[in-house]
Amino acid sequence: MAAFPATRHSIVAAMRSARPDERRSAFDALVTAYWKPVFKYVRLKWHASPEDAADLTQAFFLRAFEKDFFAGFDSSRARFRTFLRTCLDGFVANARKADARLKRGGAVTLIPIDFGEAERELRHQAGNLVDDFDAYFHREWLRSLFACAADRLRDACAARGRADRYAVFEQYDLAPEEGDRPTYAELARRLGLSATDVTNELAAARREFRRLVLEALREQCASDEEFEAESRALTG
Amino acid sequence: MKRVMFATLLGGFLGIFDGLTSWFTPAVRDQLAGIVIGSTVKGLVAGVLIGAFATRVRSLVWVLIFGVAVSGFFAYLVAAMQGKYYLEIITPGALVGLIVGYAAYRHQS
Amino acid sequence: MISEPALDRLSAMFQGPDVTGTRYELISVLGRGGMGVVYLARDTVLDREVALKIGERPSDEANEARILARLEHPGIVPVHDFGELPDGRLFYAMKRVRGDRLDRWMATERDLGERLGVFLRVCETVAFAHAHGVIHRDLKPENVMVGEFGEVLVLDWGIARELQNSEGKSQISGTPDYMAPEQARGDAAVDHRADVFALGAMLESIASSAPVLAIARKAHSAEAAARYQDVQALAADVSRFLAGRAVEAHRERLVDRLARFGRRYRLPILLVLTYLVVRLLFLWIMRS
Repeated sequence: MAAFPATRHSIVAAMRSARPDERRSAFDALVTAYWKPVFKYVRLKWHASPEDAADLTQAFFLRAFEKDFFAGFDSSRARFRTFLRTCLDGFVANARKADARLKRGGAVTLIPIDFGEAERELRHQAGNLVDDFDAYFHREWLRSLFACAADRLRDACAARGRADRYAVFEQYDLAPEEGDRPTYAELARRLGLSATDVTNELAAARREFRRLVLEALREQCASDEEFEAESRALTG
Repeated sequence: MKRVMFATLLGGFLGIFDGLTSWFTPAVRDQLAGIVIGSTVKGLVAGVLIGAFATRVRSLVWVLIFGVAVSGFFAYLVAAMQGKYYLEIITPGALVGLIVGYAAYRHQS
Repeated sequence: MISEPALDRLSAMFQGPDVTGTRYELISVLGRGGMGVVYLARDTVLDREVALKIGERPSDEANEARILARLEHPGIVPVHDFGELPDGRLFYAMKRVRGDRLDRWMATERDLGERLGVFLRVCETVAFAHAHGVIHRDLKPENVMVGEFGEVLVLDWGIARELQNSEGKSQISGTPDYMAPEQARGDAAVDHRADVFALGAMLESIASSAPVLAIARKAHSAEAAARYQDVQALAADVSRFLAGRAVEAHRERLVDRLARFGRRYRLPILLVLTYLVVRLLFLWIMRS
């Protein structure tokens, strides 16, 4: 996954940059953060088939880039997430009305996206009856955010030769079901560590994970104020 | 006051009272004095026994049964002396035993 | 993919204080008191659930933990552990109590006897604390738990004070409805009778009969001198009521007295009446 250049804090701000390569980088990062929630949202709210949803998702981002949808975003008025969703709803509504064939390709291509994976996830999520799409979108976005941070954590741990640390985190905190979670003793046994090591590695992994989540969140926010608000909402 | 003492006094008191109620039966009115004395003695003796039993046995049910049995028995003896009015003498007599038994059980000595 | 349970778990990581480095994992919020938040947590070493109280300010928890640890009584929650979080806040871990808060427990159908029974247990606990020189200062139904096996626990000793430690003008803390006037004023001379006041207020919310209301009002008097002078006296009056005897706080009318007498000696009266009825019946039979 493309890590965002460290010089810029915010994707949204970078998308207004004069430099095309910065704009492009920012855009890729945005798509990475949002394509899954967008796809699932379109599938469930707009009752699109998997193929249509994939088309709409790609077309939406392409159009957003070409027409600079997000230039009009004012962070003091709304969250970026809400803004994006509003643009998306508008886009899909128009596309449906026009019933036009969605433009694909052209001058701009997107980063490679595995819609199949998103579709599989959707199938996995039991009971896709959603009454609050706002909350649903938020939750899917959060899922993407955490997944992104977890990936970064894995890469960071691998780079530092601390595969155990990520393994402990993955098996304990990313366990799919409560019943799948091992005890600390179990983990120690599986990984050939002492119980104290497990506690320490887990604590370190969690601290790092928190930092990475907040870092990823910062990238998506257009301003410091927005970041403050978002992280407060996250930390409860 | 000890339980035995309490039960004895109560038995005697009820015995007097029980004896006096026979005044309402004209047929035996002339024997009233004898009846009252006998009834009092009966009440005292039954009271002693019930009090002693209640001190030993801490079960309300058993104390009540004992009270009924003892008083009922004495009442039977009285009735047997006369040869008549068995039911009319034994029933109230047994009830007195019930009252003494209950009171003896509940008494904090 | 991050599953739903994993997503909840990870979100929880951001929603509470950072307890990494301790042996506890936060699960959910159990309640918020004036002096901190109580979390349901897991003790990963002993693999059991505990209640973790995390203070807003460092000094709070130290005081409360020390007081609780000293008072060993069935009605006071035992303290298991005490420590410091990475961010400097203090916490202590105590037994997880399963049950209902008293205000919710009272809302269900209970007869007066049951409610007063629970009230007496609260009195016992508070009297114990007083005997050890500690006043609670924030007694109210929300701070009492009735456990699933009938155990009664008094919680949230957060603003409890040791009697000899009350320096000068005390901080005004507590809950308005249950706060004694001298406590609300911030008097230095707040003593255990402030707890008597609060207990009176609690009793008032339970009471449905005149004698109990009289007891409650006496305990709830604005003047400390007019209240029961200690919790034992209050409890004794309530016990007298439960035993069917006359209550100190309540002046009975003759008809009340007779009614109480009748209720208390129901069975003997019944026996005597039965005897009289049977006797009279037989007398009548023997006459005719």
